[in-house]
Amino acid sequence: MSLRQRLQAHSKDTRWIVAGLGLLLLVLSGIYVFILRSRQLPASLVTNRVLIFLLWYIDVVLIVAVFFVLLRNLLKLLVERRHRILGAKFKTKLVATYIGLSLVPVLILFVYATNLLQSAIDRWFTAPVEQVVTYGNAMAQAMTTRVQSTAMRDARRVLHDIEPSGTNAIERPQLGNRLQELRAELEADYLAVYADRQLVHGSVNPQAGMSDLPDPSKSFLIAVLRDGRAPGVIELPGPNALLAIAGVAGATGPAGRTVVVLGTRLEPEVTAGRAALIEAYQGFLQLEVQKGDLKTSHLLTFLMVTLLILLASSWTGLYLARRVTIPIQALAEGTRRIASGELGHRVETAADDELRILVDSFNQMTAELERNKAALERGNRELLEANRRLAAERALIATVLQNVAAGVISLDAEGRVFTCNGAALAMLRQSESEVLGKLAADAWRDEQRGRLAALFAAPESTAVGSLSSASSRELRMALGGEWKTFEVKVNSMLDEAGQPLGRVVVLEDLTELLQAQQIAAWSEAARRIAHEIRNPLTPIKLAAERLEQKRRNEDPGLQAAVSEAVEIIVREVEAMKHMVDEFSRFARMPRPQPEAIEVARVVDEVLHLYRGLKPGVELSAEVAANSARALLDPSQFRRALINLLDNALEATEAPGRVTVETRTLDNGSLEVRVADTGRGIPPDAREKLFRPYFSTKGRGTGLGLAIVHRIVGDHHGTIRVDDNEPQGSVFTIELPQT
Amino acid sequence: MKAGHWVIALAVLALLAPAPAAAEPHLSDLKTALEGRKVMISFRLTDGFDSELRERIQSGLPTGIVYDMQLFKDRLHWWDRGIAESSLQVVAMFNAVTREYLVNFKLDGRLIESRQLRDLDELEEALTHVEALPVFDLAPMPADWKLLIAVRAELGSGTMLAFIPTHLRTDWKESRKFRPPAD
Repeated sequence: MSLRQRLQAHSKDTRWIVAGLGLLLLVLSGIYVFILRSRQLPASLVTNRVLIFLLWYIDVVLIVAVFFVLLRNLLKLLVERRHRILGAKFKTKLVATYIGLSLVPVLILFVYATNLLQSAIDRWFTAPVEQVVTYGNAMAQAMTTRVQSTAMRDARRVLHDIEPSGTNAIERPQLGNRLQELRAELEADYLAVYADRQLVHGSVNPQAGMSDLPDPSKSFLIAVLRDGRAPGVIELPGPNALLAIAGVAGATGPAGRTVVVLGTRLEPEVTAGRAALIEAYQGFLQLEVQKGDLKTSHLLTFLMVTLLILLASSWTGLYLARRVTIPIQALAEGTRRIASGELGHRVETAADDELRILVDSFNQMTAELERNKAALERGNRELLEANRRLAAERALIATVLQNVAAGVISLDAEGRVFTCNGAALAMLRQSESEVLGKLAADAWRDEQRGRLAALFAAPESTAVGSLSSASSRELRMALGGEWKTFEVKVNSMLDEAGQPLGRVVVLEDLTELLQAQQIAAWSEAARRIAHEIRNPLTPIKLAAERLEQKRRNEDPGLQAAVSEAVEIIVREVEAMKHMVDEFSRFARMPRPQPEAIEVARVVDEVLHLYRGLKPGVELSAEVAANSARALLDPSQFRRALINLLDNALEATEAPGRVTVETRTLDNGSLEVRVADTGRGIPPDAREKLFRPYFSTKGRGTGLGLAIVHRIVGDHHGTIRVDDNEPQGSVFTIELPQT
Repeated sequence: MKAGHWVIALAVLALLAPAPAAAEPHLSDLKTALEGRKVMISFRLTDGFDSELRERIQSGLPTGIVYDMQLFKDRLHWWDRGIAESSLQVVAMFNAVTREYLVNFKLDGRLIESRQLRDLDELEEALTHVEALPVFDLAPMPADWKLLIAVRAELGSGTMLAFIPTHLRTDWKESRKFRPPAD
C-alpha cells in the first residue's frame, strides 16, 4: 500500500476519534453528575458545578481535538514533504493559509470578547452599585430594626408589668387576661409568654388577620434565653406577611425562665419593599460570590466557541486542501506508476469539478497507452514467434540440407553463392570459404568446375526454367584425379511478384550409379551374349549329331543331310558373326565429330530406307525451316534416327503412322521428335528403356536405344520418351548447338 | 562585609523567601469511640470556615461541606483494606428575611438533623464540628483486627489559573487505630 493510500485510510478514522471523544465527554459528565447527585447537594450548587465542569470537559476535548487535528495533519504534511509527494507543498500552503486566516481573527476575537465580558462583569460590582444595593438592604433592615426596637421596649414593659420586683410571671393568676389588656394597650399584634421554650399564654390582634398563633423559632427563643433579649421576624402565611418580634427574658421560676415575645405586623407595602430590597441584595451577593464561577464559565464558553470555530476552520481548511490535493496526489501517483510501466493503473478519486475532467483525461490517456502497448507487445510476440519459427525452419532446412545426399547450392539474384551444403562441397571437392559469397564464375573458375559455372552464365530465362520447369543436365568433371558424373538440376526462385530471387542448384552424383548400371549392363550383356551364342549352337549341334547318326547308319541320304547341315551351320555362324559385329560396333563407337549438316536431307535419306517396308504404315517428315542446318555428327545422327525409326515401325501395326519432326528451340537446341501410333511403352519399362541389352521385343540385341542414348549423351543432349496422343509413343531428342 | 551589604542580602533573602502560606483547611481532633458495635466519630474542620464560605452562605446560596469517612482495616506494611465508607453533608442556607441559618445534616443522603441558627459562630460550629456522630456499624470481625477511620472534607469547587475547575478538599485525616469490640 502506498503512503498516500495509508494516509487516506487513516483519515477516515478521524470521525470515529471525534465521535469517541464526544462519547467520552458525555460519559464523564454523566458520571460526574451522578456523583454530585448522589451527595444530595442543592440543585443550584450542583448546576453551577456541572456547568463549569461540563464546559471545562468540552473545552479539554476540543483542545485535544484541535491539537490532534493540527498535529496529525502537520505530521502528515511533514511526512508527505519528506517523501516528496507531489502536492505536499501546495497542501501545506493551503492549510497554513486557512488556519492562519481563521486562527488570528478568532484568537483576537476571543481575547477581546473575554476582556469585554470580564470588565462587564466587574462593572456589575462597582462601588456605586454595591453601595446602592447595600444601603437599600440596610434601610430595609433598619426599618425592621426600628419596629423590633419598639417591640423590644414594649416587651420590657410587659415583662415589668407581669413580673414586678422579680417575681415569676408564670405563677401570676389572670396572666392571660393581663396579656390581652397589655397587647391592646400597646397596640401590638402579638404577645406571648413562654416558660423557657414552652408557650404559657399568647394573644393576637384579631384585626391582624392571623389565623393561628405565630410560632417563634426555637433558635429565637434560645437566643432570648441565652442573651436576655433578641429581635426576630416571623414569616406569616400569605405574601409579604411579616411579624417583627422582640423577646426579653425575665425571672426564672419552677416552670422555667419567663420569656415575653411581642410582635407587630409590618405593613404589607413596607414588607413588599423590604422583601424586594432584600431579594435584590441577596441576588447581588450571590452574583458577587459567584463572580469567579461566572467569569470562569463565560471564559470557558468563549474558549469553547473559539475552539469550535478553530476546529471547524482548520478542518474545513484541511478538507478543502484535501479536495484539491488528493486528486493531484492521485494523478502524481498515477503518473509515477504509469511511468514505471503499470499501464493498467487508473486514477480513482472523488472530484466533481475541473479536476474530474483532468482525471478522466488522464485515465483515457493511460487506457490508450495501455491499448497501444498491448498491440505492440502482441505484434512483438508475433514477430518473435515468426522469427523463432523461421529460425527453426532455417535450422531444419540447414539440417536437412546438411544431411541430404544431394548437393544443394543456392545463388542470389546477382549470381553469388548463398548457400552450399556439405554434400555439394564434398562433390565439388571445395570448402565453404572457396564458394560462399562469391560469384559462380569465381567460385568455379577452373576448367572442370567451369562447366557448372557455365550453366549460370546465360540469362536466367534462357538457361533454365522456373521452379515448375526445372532443367537438368549431366556433367562429367575430372575432380581429384577421377571422373565424376553429376546430374545438375537448376531451379529459379521467384517471389510473389514473379521477380527472380535467385537459383537453386541440385547436384546428384551419378558416378557410382552409372558404374553400377554399367556393371549391371555388362552382366546383362554377358547373359544375352551367352544366350545369343547358345541359340545358334543348338541347331549346329543338332545338325552335327544328325550327320553322325546318318554316317553311323550309313544312311543313303547322308550327302543331302551334309548339305543341309552345312547350310544350317553356315547360317547360324553368320548370325553369330552379325551379333558380334553389333557388339563390336557399340563398343567401338567413336567420339562424335560435329559438322554442319542439312537435317532435312539426313531425315529424307533415313526415311527412304524404310518407305514401303511395312505396308499400311505411313512415314512422314516435317522439318522446320529454322532447323534446316545443325551442328551434328552426320553418321551418328543417322544411326540414331535409324534405330528410332526401326523401333517405331516395329511397334506400329497397320494402319499406322510414323512421323519425324525437327525444330530449333528458343534456347538454340535442335529438337527431334519421332512419334508413332503403335502400342506404346509401359511406364515401368521407361526407366530401363535406354539401358544396353534391354528390349521389350523379346528379340534383338537390345542395343538400339542404348546406342541412341549414347549418341545423344555424346552430343551433350537429352532424350526422353512420352506417350503420343491418342496412342503410341514419342521420343524427343534435344541437341544443344553450342 | 559592611552593614549595607548585610541589609541588601537580607532584603534579597526576604524577597526570595516564600510568602507565608494562607492557612489551609484541615481536619483535627479526629477521635473515635465505640458504643457497642457503633463507631462514633468526632472531628473538627479548622480554617475551613473562611470569609469566602461565609459570604457565600450569607448571599443565600445553599453552601455545604461534605465529609467523606472511611473505615479501614489496618494492614502492616501494606495498603489498608477498606471496610466501609460514608459521607456526611452539612448544608447551610441563610434566610435573609428571618436572618436565620437553616443547617441540614445528611448522612449518606438521609437527613439526620436540622438546625436553625441565628449567628455565624453557631453556624461555624455547626458546619465545622462533628461530635460523636454514629457512622459505622461494625459487623462481627476478629478481635485482633486493628481498625482506623479516615476523614476528608470537601469544601466545594474552585478554579486554577482562573478557568480550570478544581475540587477544594482537605487531606485525609486518619484516626488512631482501635480494635473492634469483642463478641
